Formats: sequence, structure tokens, C-alpha cells
Amino acid sequence: MEGPKILFTIPYLNINVTETVVDTWLVMAVITLICIWLTRNLKVVPTTRRQIVAEKLVEMANNLVNNTMGERYKFLTPYIAALFASSIIGSLSSLVGLRPFTADLSTTLSWALLAFIMIQGNNIRLNGIGGWLKGFMEPVPFLLPLNIVSEIASPISMSFRHFGNIAAGMVITSLLYSALAALSRFVIGWIPNEFVASIPIFQLGLPAILSIYFDVFTSFLQAYIISMLTMVFVSGVDPRN
Amino acid sequence: MPFVSIDVWTIIMQWGNLLILMWLFKKFLFKPVMAILDARNDEIKNIYDEAEAVKKDAEELKNEYDSKLNGARDEAEEIVKFAVKNAKISSDEIISDAQSKAASIVERANEKILIERKKAVNEAKNELSDMALTIAGKVIERQINSYDDKRMIEKFIEELGDVS
Repeated sequence: MEGPKILFTIPYLNINVTETVVDTWLVMAVITLICIWLTRNLKVVPTTRRQIVAEKLVEMANNLVNNTMGERYKFLTPYIAALFASSIIGSLSSLVGLRPFTADLSTTLSWALLAFIMIQGNNIRLNGIGGWLKGFMEPVPFLLPLNIVSEIASPISMSFRHFGNIAAGMVITSLLYSALAALSRFVIGWIPNEFVASIPIFQLGLPAILSIYFDVFTSFLQAYIISMLTMVFVSGVDPRN
Repeated sequence: MPFVSIDVWTIIMQWGNLLILMWLFKKFLFKPVMAILDARNDEIKNIYDEAEAVKKDAEELKNEYDSKLNGARDEAEEIVKFAVKNAKISSDEIISDAQSKAASIVERANEKILIERKKAVNEAKNELSDMALTIAGKVIERQINSYDDKRMIEKFIEELGDVS
């Protein structure tokens, strides 16, 4: 199993631009175009199904953030929406033959680190540096090392969970394809015609059914989990909640 | 790149990408949709306010009409009462008037009857006395002219009348 390919290197700076980043750009472009298309020609009294979909999406994002984080964190709605959309469309991009960029640990780690920064930043903002540091000694100072480990573990577990699920789905799908190809070869390999014998008939249909779980369901689930965890952790440090 | 790898530049780029996507979302999805939702809320609020105002107006008008109607009913009652009272008074007046008129008519009739009767009696007396005089004259073959004679006969008739 290969990691993301390096598509090109930015000269002088020696920055490797991988498949992951280019796929992300593609996904961003698609999302932006969808947004522009959805919000074209909005009217106070909606006349198009498009507008209703756009409003529904915005409403869902607002409700999700409001219900999970509270009215105070409304400003984070676009971030959560972007995270959710990137994650889900990134994972689902495997369906159109791209390498899902969420199957690159760097992507999920970058999101988890961003969440980590937001969590700690929000904690310091609300509790002050003293309160933030004191939080590590609670409920008893003895737990200080464990608290530090749990804080550091959260972005790691978040990123590995997302990465692992999508990457595993990818691995299983490709394993399944090779297995089915081998099975086809085994079952119809006796046919003297070389072309007919090489048709991987078992690859037809069955992977699609498994893909519903490994690609579609997992993509939804992981997108939901990473946005939910980000919201819960960021608002969880808020003493008002 | 290996399958499980951490590339710092990819992490940084993905940060940038996520933040840019957030900005794009804000600009192309949230801002226009929220603007339209706010506009709709404003419009709905306006419509509700208008409806509320109209309702209030209608209620005021209704109250006004109700009070007017009640006033009119009271007035009508008053008018009817007044009319009934007036009618009673005038009917009483008419009745008493008629009664007194009738009484006076009866009285006058009685008087007239009395006068007529007296007249008739007097006439009868006169005729009788004339007849008596004529008869007496015939009897005694002479004219009874003297006042004394007349007087005597009249007295006689009078006594006769009183007896009858």
C-alpha cells in the first residue's frame, strides 16, 4: 500500500506537494462551486429547490453548533461546517477514484492539532493562564501527569481514528479487489481464451456493497465524529457550560 | 511517501486549506443564506406586526361598535318607555275626556228632556185650559174673558195636573 504520491516540488523552497494537497484543492473548488451554485439568486420567498437545500444546510450547521456548543460559539459554525465538509467529501472522493486525503495522517493530524490549539486557546481565554495550569492539577495534583497525557492524547486519538478508519477502508477495499480478482481467476481461469479467463467477474457488484460500509458509512461517521469531538472539546473547557 | 507518514508541509497546507475553506463557506454559503434568512425573519416580523396592528384596530372598532350598539339599545329602550308613558298619559287623558264629555252629553240630554217635558206639559195645560174655556164658554153660552174667570180655570187645571 502506497502513501500519497508527491505530484510536484515547489522549487527553491523544496516543498513537496502531495496528492493529498492537490485533492484537497479539488475538493475545495468543488465545495465552493456547489456553494456558489446553491446560493445563486436567493429570494426572500424561496422559489427554487436549490435555495431550500442551501437554507437547510445552513440551518443544520447552525443547529448542530448551537445545540452542541451553545449560542456563544456561533462564530465557529463556518469552521465546523468546513471541517465536516472537508472530511466527508475528502473521504468520499475515493468513490470517484481520487486518493481520499483523509487517508493521509498529515491531513487528520493537522485538523486535530487545530482542534488542540483551539481547545487550549479557549481554555486560556476563559480561565486565564493560572486557571488553565490549575486545571491540570484537578481533581488532585497527583493526576498531573495523567492530565497532561490525556490532553496530548486527544489530538492524536482524533487524528489516528479518522485516518485509520478511512485508510483501513481503502486497504480493505483494495485487498478485497485483489482477493476477488484471484477468486475470479481461480473459478474461470480454466477457460482457454486468455481474454475471457482474465475477466474478474467477482469484482462486479460485491465491492460496491461493501463500499457502502467502508467508504460511505465510515466517511459520514468519521466526519461526524471529528466535528463533534472538536465542538465538544472546545466548548467543554468553558466553565459556563 | 510512506503509507503512514507525517509531513510538516502537508500539515501546514492542510491548515491553510481548511481555513480557506472556512472563509469560502462563510463568504459563499453562510453570509448570503443568513442574509436572506434575516430578511425573511424581518419580513415575517413586519407581517406579524401589521397583523397585530390590524387586529388591534379591529378590536377597537368592535368595542366601539359594541358600546355604540349598547348605547343605541339603551336609547331605544328609553324611547319605548317614554313613548309608552306618553301613550298611557294621553290615553288616560282621552278616556277621562271622553268620560266627561259623555257625562256632559248625558246631562244635557237629561236637561233637554226635562225642558221638553215641561214644555209639553205646559202646552198640554194651555191647550187644556183653552179647551176648558171653550167648553165652559159653550156651556154657559158666554164668553169667559175676564181675568178672574181665566185665573179660576187655570187654578183648577193646575190642581187637576197636580192630582194626575
